[in-house]
Amino acid sequence: MSKPRLAHIVLGGCEGCYVSLLDAHEGLVELLDVVEIVHSPLTAGTSMKECDVLLVEGAVTTERDERVLMDARAKADTLVAVGSCAVLGGIGGLRNLYPTREVLADVYGEGGGPSKNVPDLTARVHAVSDFVKVDIAVPGCAPQTETLLSAIGAAIDGRAWDMPRRNMCDECKREKRAMLEHSVDFVSDAVYGLMELETIDPDLCFLEQGVICMGPMTREGCGARCTTAGMPCRGCQGPSRVDFEQGGKTIDALAAVLPPGAIMFLDDLIGTGYRYSMPISIFPSAYDHEGGDSDE
Amino acid sequence: MALGLYVSRASGKVDSAIDIEKAISDARDEAAVVRVVDELFDADVQARMLKDIVDAELDAIVLAGHSVQHYATSLSGQHLQERLIDAGLNPNRIVIANILEQVALVHPEDKAGATAKARALINVAVSRAQVAKPVEGHSTEPRHAALILGVTTEALVAAQRLLQLGYSVILADRTDGRARATEASRMRATAAYILGHPKAEFIDNAHMLDGHGWLGDFEVTLHTDGNRATFRVGGIVLARPDVREWIEELRQHFKVDIDDDGNARSIDPETHPAETVDPGIVVVPVRQKDEPVRNIIASADSAAMALVLRLSVDTTVHFSDVSSVDESLCGGCASCVRTCAFGACYIGEDGLSHVDERRCRACGKCVVSCPVGARDIMSSPHDHLVGAVRSLAEAEVPGERVLGFLCGGCGYPAADSASTYIAESGTTYPASFLPVRIPCGGRLDTIYVLEAFRAGFNGVVVFRCREGHCHNLIGNVDMDRRINLLRTVLRSRNLDDSRLRIVDISPFEGERFVEQVNELYAALGGLANGKGGPQ
Repeated sequence: MSKPRLAHIVLGGCEGCYVSLLDAHEGLVELLDVVEIVHSPLTAGTSMKECDVLLVEGAVTTERDERVLMDARAKADTLVAVGSCAVLGGIGGLRNLYPTREVLADVYGEGGGPSKNVPDLTARVHAVSDFVKVDIAVPGCAPQTETLLSAIGAAIDGRAWDMPRRNMCDECKREKRAMLEHSVDFVSDAVYGLMELETIDPDLCFLEQGVICMGPMTREGCGARCTTAGMPCRGCQGPSRVDFEQGGKTIDALAAVLPPGAIMFLDDLIGTGYRYSMPISIFPSAYDHEGGDSDE
Repeated sequence: MALGLYVSRASGKVDSAIDIEKAISDARDEAAVVRVVDELFDADVQARMLKDIVDAELDAIVLAGHSVQHYATSLSGQHLQERLIDAGLNPNRIVIANILEQVALVHPEDKAGATAKARALINVAVSRAQVAKPVEGHSTEPRHAALILGVTTEALVAAQRLLQLGYSVILADRTDGRARATEASRMRATAAYILGHPKAEFIDNAHMLDGHGWLGDFEVTLHTDGNRATFRVGGIVLARPDVREWIEELRQHFKVDIDDDGNARSIDPETHPAETVDPGIVVVPVRQKDEPVRNIIASADSAAMALVLRLSVDTTVHFSDVSSVDESLCGGCASCVRTCAFGACYIGEDGLSHVDERRCRACGKCVVSCPVGARDIMSSPHDHLVGAVRSLAEAEVPGERVLGFLCGGCGYPAADSASTYIAESGTTYPASFLPVRIPCGGRLDTIYVLEAFRAGFNGVVVFRCREGHCHNLIGNVDMDRRINLLRTVLRSRNLDDSRLRIVDISPFEGERFVEQVNELYAALGGLANGKGGPQ
C-alpha cells in the first residue's frame, strides 16, 4: 500500500509554522516513515501535486496566494490550516485597517511600489477559510510542534481533530485572588505596560497586576507557555469560538475588570484585541471612503 | 416545533395601521396554527388557544399585539400567561411581538412602513420562539411570613392584616420602631394587636446585610444592635419607599425600581400601586403632603393584599433565566465574577464558573462579559439577539434603518409611552427605526453593535436607565464602559462613532423617546462616512 501523500504550501506569512514543524527533529523521520512528502517549501521548484493531506500556512495576502491556494485545494483531500495566519488571518491582517495604496505608500513612498515580479496585494488579508473548506484548523503563532504533529497525524488517519475550546486561563498556572472576589472595584487602579512595573509577581494573574493579558479572550491549547515564562498572553490562538470577536470581547470582558479609562488610553487597543484575528472580525477591514469598500 | 401565532387586531387599532395578512406572510410558513383575533384577552380566544395547545400540540406561542410591558403590568396579560403556562407551555416559549404600542400606534399614517416593521418584529418573535430553550422552574411552598421594612402606619396596618390571615411578620426599623408603635396614638388598637401577637417580631436599629431568593422563599440577614439575624420569609413589604438606606440595601440584592425623585416605585403607580418588578416585593406609595388617613390605610391594604395574592397559593414557581455554563468553553477566567453586581457568579472547586441562582437577577452582564460565550440568558439568548439584528436589517421599511436597543427597565416602556405622546401631539418618528428589547443595558454585547453596522444599519441607539436607576445596579454603567470603548473599534474601521448613541431615559418619558430618535435621524443625515462604498 502506498503511503499517504503530504503537501505543504506557504502563503503570506513568516514560515515560522514550518520552523515549528522542523522542530520535530527525529519526529520528522517518523513522519517520513508514514507519509510521502510531495510538495513543501524544501522541495523548491516542484509544482503542486495531488495529495491526501495539504498543510496550508500563511494568510491570503496577494493574488498569487489566492491562485496557489485554490489550485492546491483542488488537488487535496484533507486541508489543514496551520498557524494563526491561515486560521485567523494573523498579524499581517492588521493592514486591513488601511487602504492598500496607503500601505504601499507607507512602505515604498508615495507613488512607489514593489518590482513588477512581486504579485499584487489583495485588497485585504484573508484567512484561508474565506476561500476554501478547511478540515482541521491549528491556530497558534506558531503552533506547538507536538500540536502540529498531532493534527497532521489525525489528518493522515482521517480522524476529526480539534483543539480544546476553553479559554487560556484554564491552562494558566497563575493564581487569581482579586478576580475571584465580588466587588464593584476594579482589580487594579491602572493599566500598566509590562516594562512599567518595578516588580511582577510571577505567580499572580497578570490582570490583577494591571497588565493586559489576552488569556480570557484566547483559546487554550498552547500550555500557557507565555504566562508561565512571565509574558502576558498575546492572544495568538484566537478566540475560543470564531463567531466571538476577539477584539470586541476584550472590551466586553475587561471593562468591568480594569479601569476602562486606562484601557482607552492604551497605545493600541485595536492592535491588542485584534492582533491576530482582524481578518475574521465582524468588520474585517476599515471602510475606504474614497476608493469604495476595501472589502470588495 | 409546533408554533402557534395569535395576532390581535386590538379592536381595530392594529389593523387600521397595519396590513395584518402581509405582516404575517412569512410567519405563516413557520406556524402550525395562525389566528387573527379581535383581542387576545377575550375569554373565547383564550379558550381557543388552550384547545389549540392540545389539538395541535403546540410547543410555542407568539402573541402579536400588545407590548411585553402589558403582560408584566396588566391583570389580563398576567392571567393569559398563567393560563398558557398551566396548559403546559414553557414560559420561555411564550413570545410577544409588540406591534401595537411600538408599531401601529406609532406609525398610524404610514401603513407600508408599519406593515413592514410589524412583519419584521413578528419574524423576530417567531425565531426567538424557535431558538429559545425551555426554562426550568423551582417550585416552592411559599412561606407565610413577611418582612416589613420601616415601622409606619402603613406597616402596622399591613402587619395586622397579615397576622390576622395567619402570616408571621417581622417589622424591621432603622431606629426605634417598637417604641413608636407602642406610642402611636392613632393606631393604638392596631399596634396593640401586633405587639401582643406571638407571630410578630420587632427588629429595631436594623439594616440589611444580605438577601437572596425569590417570591415565596427569601432569606434576609439583618444587622441589629451588633447582632446578625437571618429571616426566611415569603415576601417583603417596603413601608418606607422614601428611605434611601432601605432602598439602597434592597437594591444590592433584589430588583427595586426607583422614580425620578429616588423613591422606590411600583411597576405602574397608576394601576398597580404595590407590586414591584420583583414579584415577592411590594411597596407602599410615597405619602403626599397631608395625605388623608384613609389613603394611608388603603395603601397598606393594597400592599398586604398584593402580597397575600402572591403567597396564598400551594406552590410558587421561580423560573431561572440563566443557563448553566458550557463546560467545554469555560476556562474560569472570572470575568463574570467581576462584572456581577449581585455576587451571584463564582468560580467553583472545579475551576469553572457557576451561578448562585438565588442571587441571580438575570441581567445578562455575565453573559456579555464572558469572552467565550459559555453562558446565556434563556429569555434573551445570544443567538436570538444576533439573529434579531440580522433579521431587522432586512426589514423592508422605507429609508435608512436605525436600530434601537431598548432596556426592558426604561427604554422599552418609554417606547410604549411614546405611543400616548404621539397620539396627543401628532409628532412621530420614522418606521425605519427598529427596536430590539434587551433585559438590561448590561446585556448589550459589543458583537451586537458591530453586527448591526455590518448588516447595514445607518445608526444604533441604546436607551438605558438614568444613572442610579438601573435595577441591576450598574448594568447601565457597565454598558457605557463597553460601548464607549467600542467607539475605538468603530473608528479603527473608519466608521463615524457618532452613529452610535447612548440615551438615558425613564420609563414614562415617551416624548423624550420620540425627540431622541428624531434627533439621531437628523444627526445621521449630516454624516458622510461610515456606510462603505464611494461617498
